[in-house]
Amino acid sequence: MKPENPFLAVLALAAGLLFLSPVLYSIWMSFQTADAYYTGNIEFTFRNYEMAIGQYNFARYLVNSVIVSGLVTLIGLAVATCAAFAFARYTFAGSNLLFGAVVATLMIPSHITLIPNYLTLAKAGLLDTYAGLVLPAVSNGFAAFFLRQYIRGIPRALDEAAYMDGASPLKVLWRVIIPLSKPAILSMGLYIFISEWNNYIWPLVAIGREDLYTLQIGLARLYRVNPGEDIIDWPLVMAASTITILPVLVGFILVERHLIRGMMMGAVK
Amino acid sequence: MSAITLKDIRKSYAGGPQILHGVSMDIQHGEFIVIVGPSGCGKSTLLRLLAGLDPCEQGELLIDGKRANDLPPQDRDIGMIFQNYALYPHMTVLENIAFGLELRKVPKVERLKRARSVAETLQLTSYLDRKPGALSGGQRQRVAMGRAMARDCSTFLMDEPLSNLDNALRVAMRTEIKDLHRQLGATIIYVTHDQTEALSLADRVAVMKDGHLQQFDTPDMIYDQPVNRFVAGFLGSPAMNFVPADCIDDWGGERDIDVGFRPEALSLNRSPVRGPSITARVVLTEMTGATFIVHCESEAGRLSAVVTRGEELPHEGDTIWLSLDPSQALCFDAISGVRLDLPVMHHSQMPKTHVKETA
Repeated sequence: MKPENPFLAVLALAAGLLFLSPVLYSIWMSFQTADAYYTGNIEFTFRNYEMAIGQYNFARYLVNSVIVSGLVTLIGLAVATCAAFAFARYTFAGSNLLFGAVVATLMIPSHITLIPNYLTLAKAGLLDTYAGLVLPAVSNGFAAFFLRQYIRGIPRALDEAAYMDGASPLKVLWRVIIPLSKPAILSMGLYIFISEWNNYIWPLVAIGREDLYTLQIGLARLYRVNPGEDIIDWPLVMAASTITILPVLVGFILVERHLIRGMMMGAVK
Repeated sequence: MSAITLKDIRKSYAGGPQILHGVSMDIQHGEFIVIVGPSGCGKSTLLRLLAGLDPCEQGELLIDGKRANDLPPQDRDIGMIFQNYALYPHMTVLENIAFGLELRKVPKVERLKRARSVAETLQLTSYLDRKPGALSGGQRQRVAMGRAMARDCSTFLMDEPLSNLDNALRVAMRTEIKDLHRQLGATIIYVTHDQTEALSLADRVAVMKDGHLQQFDTPDMIYDQPVNRFVAGFLGSPAMNFVPADCIDDWGGERDIDVGFRPEALSLNRSPVRGPSITARVVLTEMTGATFIVHCESEAGRLSAVVTRGEELPHEGDTIWLSLDPSQALCFDAISGVRLDLPVMHHSQMPKTHVKETA
């Protein structure tokens, strides 16, 4: 093993602390009372969390975020994996053109599709529903592109061996391709989950009912708790932020190994 | 009824050149067929058509007398062993062997029993819980064979299965494959570019070149009676020697031919001899184990001869006389390369051997 350079280790530690400091500061702040925070004192309390969960309904928002992000991730991965398998393994009339169209969607800023999506869902009567939050996000061009590149790296002979063994194309996908693409699928799953978890604009546009708010909408709402008053209850906002980042942090730690492996894939053959 | 019949099989990929130009073969049950040829001759393509991995649009493919052109791979009762083994890396050895049975919905107890029995035949019992990544090349090769064997297919296709192994293991596995063929009694169609494998394994050898089947016959016939210059030169190590010659017919007409003779048919002499001989200068001697190959330069071009150990070995730069028993020489048309049934007369000094056409 290459000996570690102490200078680089110190630099990495310093950079890590620098990136971590706002998070640690906000967690620390979330356990302070508002009065103590504004007067510069230290007063430890759980009250901000009790308020966020009880009074401001963050438990509900958390459930909504989990449902929406979970469904978008699961359905999005299923759609992207099937599309990636088809693009990686089959040549059909217009397949290159279709793949080009999928890649081209990466170049369209999401804000451009905001109004057409809103109008479509309004016509379908899906505004203010979970389906309205989930459906526009399930087709993910980047995921299809990323997984297609990964699947192309899996030797075709494995598919052929499975066909010889008696597998159908769906069985090949399920029993051979998906298990072998696990690192890439997990990485992409985490990426989709985090993107959807942090999504603010679409839920803001599509949802008016308070019981369907996601965490990001709920968080923004805390800034206008007391209209007309300049004082924002920062310890409360920080407690809500901690509730918001905690599930993502846990998820990241669980699949971090796969995520880094997945991101490096294709970089070095 | 033949196990497999190929009738005028042609294949080309979209936008590419034609790969197979009308290949026809009749393969009997239990035969060990080796398809041999240089890279790009279409042998692997032919195997993929047989497996059903590529569509067979032109010609007719019959399996057990039934048309199988459009039959999907899983319905052909054919097992295949791939060049790179294509083992499922996420499954254990046992799971790899049993996977085909699982897909065919064989009950778990039965499929595990069969997989274990196959593993025992192939001496894989100690590795059943290992993943392919933790196996040696030879063990992986056995697992690939086991996967095909577990399904109890009537025909096995093998696409250069030994090409990734070192020489010693290749020789050992060759014997094992031959033994297995005897035990199973199944039809085996084996693709290789290694002529030693072809001659040692096959009941019949199919020699291919540029998508054309050149000759389909027993190893003896292929070696002793090649139909053309390509087959004669491709099989045999070291390769057959060719020297240009004149063929004089009974009416005095002449035609250009090539006379071919195997290195082992040449005798090395340190002084001129009676009968047909070629004067040559030794440029290199190569030890191959039991024999030496002597490479010489002559007026007729580069020639090689075989000397067994114990015989006196010439030195580089020595002049030698290579004599030949004319009955062991073969004549080929200089232009088409087709073998001609001509006796080589021994009243002449080679090169430009005179061959009398009696027919």
